[in-house]
Amino acid sequence: ALLVFPSPLPPLRALLRRCWGRLERGLLPRWDLPWGPALAVQAPGALPEAAEGAGEGGGEPGAWEGVLWMAAPKKRRTIEVNRCRRRDPRKLIKVKRNIDVCPECGHLKLKHVLCGYCYAKVKAETRQIRHEIQKQEGGPFKAPTVETVVLYDGEQPSEKDEGKRIIERARKRPSWFAQN
Amino acid sequence: SSPRFSLAGWARGLLGWARPERLLTSGRVFPLSCIHTSAPLEKLGKWEKKNRIVYPPQLPGEPRRPAEIYHCRREIKYSKDKMWYLAKLIKGMSIDQALAQLEFSDKKGAKVIKEVLLEAQEMAVRKHNVEFKSNLHIAESLTGRGQYVKQIRYHGKGMFGIMRLSRCHYFVKLVEGPPPPPEPPKTGFDQAKEYVQELRNRTITHSL
Repeated sequence: ALLVFPSPLPPLRALLRRCWGRLERGLLPRWDLPWGPALAVQAPGALPEAAEGAGEGGGEPGAWEGVLWMAAPKKRRTIEVNRCRRRDPRKLIKVKRNIDVCPECGHLKLKHVLCGYCYAKVKAETRQIRHEIQKQEGGPFKAPTVETVVLYDGEQPSEKDEGKRIIERARKRPSWFAQN
Repeated sequence: SSPRFSLAGWARGLLGWARPERLLTSGRVFPLSCIHTSAPLEKLGKWEKKNRIVYPPQLPGEPRRPAEIYHCRREIKYSKDKMWYLAKLIKGMSIDQALAQLEFSDKKGAKVIKEVLLEAQEMAVRKHNVEFKSNLHIAESLTGRGQYVKQIRYHGKGMFGIMRLSRCHYFVKLVEGPPPPPEPPKTGFDQAKEYVQELRNRTITHSL
């Protein structure tokens, strides 16, 4: 049946219009944009439906476990707290106690590591010997199947070096490269 | 940067005395190299100016003032927080020990600090009247923030982030002489003694 109101006074009419509007809004839930302040919760995009949430009862467990709980810092870490963490002794660089002096060249070296200077020296000389070998061979895959012996200025091959390949180096024999 | 006097005025002055008849009569050629019109090349920072202080001559009875050498390097491409760990490592060491530790450190800033220390040692021997280059120790070693530059870091899906390229300064003060002995750590007994002393130092106000 239709509800018929007698024509009331204008303010009363406005009030009734407002009440009717509120009723409409209450009956048809709509997710309009202009909302007031609401509870903000750390969670991924899609929120669970209100009906499903009400039906859960437990809150946490179920199909949506872990949705509403994400670790986040509560407060800004103060500079004092940050300094305590950054300057803690386990974060500082420890003083090395295994540094020695190389007896050959006098540079510094770690106890369990080869001296860097001596290694560079040997590497440079090896590079020169390899250049000589390349010049003698003249191309890749031409290495002979005999041993190689390196001779420096003024050295003659001994009787032990009979069948070996001889590489000449035009300099004095370095002190660290002993001759057999 | 504004020059000390106007370029037009200088040019006029230059042309003024460069008249050919004047040159022929006088027979002298004025060299241009003695005039410098540029502003000072870089603004000197406070640390660089510390090397310029001159103390009055010492009196005969005074103990010898040890030589102090200030050196720094600006705008090193490294983070000031990471550099601080190296600065903290070498604080209070003798220069030889510091160089040894830095040589075997794997950090990028270690190489830079080593160069700075060697430069400072060289400066000390040449200009600051230090007799033995090993007789130096590191009194202060600090880091400072340099100028930061922002750059775009490209991510997937058209996203981007803005990254900061950080730079730092490194300051060091070398003092002649052996390094001072390290302070013994504070024991509980010392702390208790200090606390009791503080309690005893209190005064009662408005008393007789």
